[in-house]
Amino acid sequence: MNKYCKLCASNVTQRWFECRMLASRALRLVGKRAISTSVCLRGGHGVAKVEDYTLPAYFDRRENPLPDIRYVQNLSPVQASLKEKEKGAWAALSADEKIALYRISFHQSFAEMNQESAEWKSVVAGIFFLMGLTGLLVLWQRKYVYGPVPHTLDPEYKQKELQRMLDMRMNPVEGFSANWDYENKQWKK
Amino acid sequence: MYRFAKAAVNLTGQAARQARHGSTAPPDFHQKYGNGLMVGGLVFCTAVWGYVLTQTGITWNLSPIGKVMPKPWREPEE
Repeated sequence: MNKYCKLCASNVTQRWFECRMLASRALRLVGKRAISTSVCLRGGHGVAKVEDYTLPAYFDRRENPLPDIRYVQNLSPVQASLKEKEKGAWAALSADEKIALYRISFHQSFAEMNQESAEWKSVVAGIFFLMGLTGLLVLWQRKYVYGPVPHTLDPEYKQKELQRMLDMRMNPVEGFSANWDYENKQWKK
Repeated sequence: MYRFAKAAVNLTGQAARQARHGSTAPPDFHQKYGNGLMVGGLVFCTAVWGYVLTQTGITWNLSPIGKVMPKPWREPEE
């Protein structure tokens, strides 16, 4: 007797193979993972092992409101009985039962998945902390790397330097000496 | 168009009556500690940099304009 193997996509006689497609039970499959454990033997070769990432996955995404599978795959007995009850009249379900059914099918509600987080606070805190660490680095550098401050930066030397710059009339129009009042020997207000 | 108008008139305001209850989800790490961490980080940063800028002896060579008074510089020639 000939059977058509959907996986191998060919007609193979029943005597040569045993092809079980659990996934072909379509009605039972709504919301469940299609775990095809079929082993189509054809010339001694098997089918590659089905990897987890190749199966339909669950995502909470705004743009994909109805994921391919239910969130809860393995139902507890309570949940299984609730699913049976769901097959009847929905008016018979209480509000809590409806919510329980929702939580079986979905992980986060739209309100939950869209809500903003306070993560930015931790990020900003991290920024400040790392800036502080940089300050410590600069401190270490000052102590262990820099040499002594040159004598040309002593306050007295700078005062003399300032007088010399003013005597030379450095940048008298708009720059340095323009700020000095030569009449009254003080800085311009 | 007529159907749209009919539906609009039919609006019982059920959506508008959705009450805001707020989230009952337990606070996550950021909600619990975010503010404290931010303040702590800011304090740490300002403390370290305040010390580095003022107390370590780093010379900034800021402009003397308005701050420094000049002093005679000529040495008597031999």
